[in-house]
Amino acid sequence: MLEVENLTVNINSITIVDDVSFSLEQRQWLMIVGPNGAGKSTIVNAISQGIPYSGSVSYCGSDVARLKPSRLAKSIGVLTQKHHVGYSFTVEEVVKLGRYAYSSGIFSTTDDEDIEKINKAIEITGLEPFRKQSVLTLSGGELQRTFLAQIFAQDPKLLILDEPTNHLDLVYQKQMFELIREWVKNTNRAVISVVHDLSLAKAYGTDALLLNKGKVISFGSISEVLTEEHLRLVYSMDVYSWMQDMFSQWMNK
Amino acid sequence: MKEKSEGFKPFYYLLFTAITLAVMVLSICAGSVNIPLKDTLTAVVNAILNLPIEEGAQSIIAFVRLPRVLCVALVGAALSLCGGAMQGLLRNPLADGSTLGVSSGASLGAVIAIAFGLYIPRLEALGTMGMAMLFAFLSLVIILSITYRLDYSLSTNTIILIGVIFNMFANSIISLVVAFAGERIKSIMFWTMGSLSGSSYSNALTLLIALLVFGAAILCCSRELNAFAIGEDNARHIGVNVKRIKMIVLISVSALIGVCVSIGGTIGFVGLVIPHMTRMVTGPNHKRLLPASIFTGAAFLMLADLIGRVLLKPLELPIGVVTSFIGSIAFIYIFYSSRKAR
Amino acid sequence: MNHLKKTNHQASRESFRDSILSPKRPSAILALVLMLFMLTVIVGGCTQSGDEARQQIIVESLDEAAGQAEAGTQGQAGGGKAAGMADRAADNNDSSEAVREPATTIELTDMMGREIKLDAPAERIVVLAASDCEILYAIGAGETLVGRGEYCDYPEEIFNVPSVQSGSETNIEQIIALQPQVVVMSIMSQTKEQVAALESAGIKVVAMNAQDIESVYTAIELLGKVVGRSAEASILINDMKTAFTDISTKAVNASASASETETIYFEVSPLEYGIWTAGSDTFMNELAAMLGMKNAFEDIQGWGEISQEQVIERDPDHIVTIAMYFGEGKTPVEEIMGREGWQGIKAIKNKMVLNVDSNEISRPGPRLTKALSAIYEFIYEEN
Repeated sequence: MLEVENLTVNINSITIVDDVSFSLEQRQWLMIVGPNGAGKSTIVNAISQGIPYSGSVSYCGSDVARLKPSRLAKSIGVLTQKHHVGYSFTVEEVVKLGRYAYSSGIFSTTDDEDIEKINKAIEITGLEPFRKQSVLTLSGGELQRTFLAQIFAQDPKLLILDEPTNHLDLVYQKQMFELIREWVKNTNRAVISVVHDLSLAKAYGTDALLLNKGKVISFGSISEVLTEEHLRLVYSMDVYSWMQDMFSQWMNK
Repeated sequence: MKEKSEGFKPFYYLLFTAITLAVMVLSICAGSVNIPLKDTLTAVVNAILNLPIEEGAQSIIAFVRLPRVLCVALVGAALSLCGGAMQGLLRNPLADGSTLGVSSGASLGAVIAIAFGLYIPRLEALGTMGMAMLFAFLSLVIILSITYRLDYSLSTNTIILIGVIFNMFANSIISLVVAFAGERIKSIMFWTMGSLSGSSYSNALTLLIALLVFGAAILCCSRELNAFAIGEDNARHIGVNVKRIKMIVLISVSALIGVCVSIGGTIGFVGLVIPHMTRMVTGPNHKRLLPASIFTGAAFLMLADLIGRVLLKPLELPIGVVTSFIGSIAFIYIFYSSRKAR
Repeated sequence: MNHLKKTNHQASRESFRDSILSPKRPSAILALVLMLFMLTVIVGGCTQSGDEARQQIIVESLDEAAGQAEAGTQGQAGGGKAAGMADRAADNNDSSEAVREPATTIELTDMMGREIKLDAPAERIVVLAASDCEILYAIGAGETLVGRGEYCDYPEEIFNVPSVQSGSETNIEQIIALQPQVVVMSIMSQTKEQVAALESAGIKVVAMNAQDIESVYTAIELLGKVVGRSAEASILINDMKTAFTDISTKAVNASASASETETIYFEVSPLEYGIWTAGSDTFMNELAAMLGMKNAFEDIQGWGEISQEQVIERDPDHIVTIAMYFGEGKTPVEEIMGREGWQGIKAIKNKMVLNVDSNEISRPGPRLTKALSAIYEFIYEEN
C-alpha cells in the first residue's frame, strides 16, 4: 500500500532522516518509535508532503509527490497533536471540511453521501452534543476528537497520526486508540502513528519502525522490533526491566 | 437536520443589501450642503439615466456627492473584503493591509511612479495604479516570507511586529524618494495622504471592475479560506491546494489594495475592524463572512465619510482620521480579547 | 546564603528570558509590539492619512514657501508699479551708505516681545525664513546675509549665499559655523529650544511672527533696525502702503458699480489632494478686502479642508489658485475649469480663474503687493 524508499530529509544542511525505507500493507498499524530527535515526526511530515525530501514515497504504486492535493487527501489523512484554530468555527463546520477533497467546483454543495459521512463521524466520536458548539470552547480531548471526526469524514485509506494523544488524559487516549483500532479493521485501510509511549505501541501496533538519530534501527512486526536489546541500544538504558518494574508496582497491590 | 447550504442565505443578502442601500441613501441626502430631497432625487435619477443635470444643487449631487459616495462604498467594500480574506488566510484576526504594511508598500509603489514619471501617455492613472498593485504584492511576499521564516505558526505577535517594521521601512523609502524627487516633492507629499473628495465616476468604474474581478476570485476561495482559518497544515491535509489558493488570494488582495490606495490613499483600519465586527454576527465561516463584509465595509466607510463631511462643516475631516480613530480603539479591543481568550 | 542569592538571581533571569521568549506569556514583547504600533499610528500619521501632518505641510509650505519652483516669474509680468518698487528701494539704499546710523547700542523688541540689544548694526546675519530674506534684500541689506534657510529663493542673487537647513531640521551647528551676529527666524516654523541653543552660543536671535499685513510692516521696521537701515525700511513700508492703497482705491471704485460685493475663492491645495482654502486671518483674506471683495470662505478660521459641495454652493465670482504647475498635464487653471459639477459656478462661466505664484501671495514680505496687483489686473483690467 505504501512504499517508502531511501527517504532522506535535510533541514538547514543537517540530516534529520537518513536513508529510511519501509513499507506498509492493508490493515497494518505501524508504530514509529524512538527517542526525541530520532526523526519520527519528520518522516510522517515528508510522507504527507509537508517538507521537501529525497528518495521516493509511493502510494499504491503512484508517486505521492505527483498526486493532486485532493487525490492525496482521499488517500492519506493526517492527524497532528496540536491545533491552533483562530476562530470560533463550530464542531460541525470543522468536520464538514473533511469532505473538501470530494467536492468539485466552486458552487459545490454537500451531497447526501457527504452528510451521511459527516453525521457518522460525529456520532462515532461522540461529538453529537457538541455539534453546534464553538471549537474554541472545547477541551483538548474534545478538540482532538473533532479533528479525528474530520479525518473520518475525509475517509482516507491511510491514516497518519503524529502523537495525537500526547497531551490527552488516559480516558481520551484509550478512546482514541480504540476508535482507530475499530477503523483500521476495515479492508483497504492502514495506520501509521508516531508514539512515545512504548506500552501503547505494543498494545495497539501490528508493526513497528524503530529509529535513532534519523536511521532505522529495526523494522518488522511489533514483537520483532521492540525487543530488549533493541530498546537498550536506542535508549541507552534497560527499558525492559524499567517497564516491568513500573508495572509490578500495580501488581503488588 | 438536512442543512444543505452553509452559505449566505437570500434573506441575509436582502437584509445586508437593504442596510447598505439605506446608508447610501442617507449619505447622498446628507452632506456639507443641505439640498432639498426633490432636487436630490431628480439629480440621482438624471445622473443614472444620463439626462442633463441642472446647475447648482443638482450638479452637487450628480457630479460631487454621488460619485464620491460610490467610490467610498466600493473602497470600503474592497478593503473590508481584503481584510477578511487576509485574516482567514493568515489565521490572524489582526491581519489587514494597513497593519501588515501592504498599504504602505502600495503607497511606495505609487510614489515611485509619480517621482520618476512612470506613466502611460493618456492613461496617467494607470502607471501609479500598476505600480501600487505591484508593490502591494511585493510587500506581501516580503512580509510573509520573512514571517514564515521567523515563525512558521504565524503568531499574531510576529505578524504585527513585521508589519510595524515594514511600515517604517516603506515610509523611510518614501521619504528617501521624496528627497530625491526635487520639484515634484509637494505633489508626492500630498499624494501619500490621498483623498476621496475628488472622486469621479471613472474612479468608481475602475473600483467596480477591480472589485468584480478580484472580489469574485476571493469569494471563490471562501471554502479554502475556512480551511486556512482552521490551520494551514490542516488545509493541506484535507486536500486544499495550499500554494495555489495562497497565490490567488494574495494577488487579489494586492490588486484591490493597490487600486484603493492609488485612488483614495491609505485608509487605515477598515479591513481590520469591519471583518471582525461582521464575524461577531455571521460567525467565522467565510462563505457568510466575506459577502457580509462587502456590505458592512461599504456601509461603514460611507458612514465614516458622512461624519467627515458633516461634523465640522463647512470644513472636511479626512476620512482616514475618522476610520483611524474608530480603528485604533477597536484594535486594542481585539488584541485584548484575543489575548484573554487564550 | 550566597548560593541562595545566586539561584534567585538565576531564576529571575530565567523568568525574564521566559517572559521575553516564551510564546505562552509574551507580555513583554506584546507591550513592546503594542507600543511600537501605537507609535507608528501616531508618527506615521502622515501615511495613515493624518490631518495634522497635512495641515503642517500646508502651513509650512505657505509659510516658508514651497521650495525650488520658479520664483516670481509669473508675478513679474503683471507686477506693474508694485513690481519695480522693491528694486527701487534697493537702488536708493545702495547709494546712501552715509545714511547708516552711528554705531551706538541698538535696542529692539522682537515680535515675540523679547528685548534684544545690539552693540552695532549687524553685519553678519543668518535668516531662516524666505520672507525675511526678501525684506532684507528689499531694504538693500542683502550683503549682510551670511546664511539663508534652504527655502529662501528670492531674489536670484540669494543663491550665492550658503544655505542652512531650517524648520524642524534646523541644524544649530551649521548656523554657528557661519559665525553670524544675528539669526532671524520665524517662530511659526522654529522652536524655543533652537532659540535657546543659539543664544547660549552668544548669537542674538530675532524672532519674527508676521500673521497679517500690518505685522509685515513691523517685520520690515525690525529688520531695518537690525541692519541699521531704518530709513530704507520706512521707504519700503511707505511704498508698500502706497501700492496697496492705489490698487485698493481703484478696485473699490471699480467694484462700486457692481450691485453686490463679489466673492473670491482662494484654493491653496488642488482637488487631487483634497481642496484647502484660506479663511479669515490669512493674507489672502486681507487681499480680498483690498480688492473690494469678500472671501467666499470668510467663516473659516485660518486654513482648512473644504468640500467641493461648499464651493459649488457658494458660487464664487472669482477663483484664485496657488497650485504649482510642473510643466506637464493640465495647468491648474485648466484643471479647475474642467472639473465636473463646477460648470455652473460664476467664476468658471466667466473664466475668472487665475493662478497666482504661491510664494508671492503666501510670504509675509514685500512681494505681497505683486500678488495683489496680479489679481487686480486679472479681474479689472484684462476683461
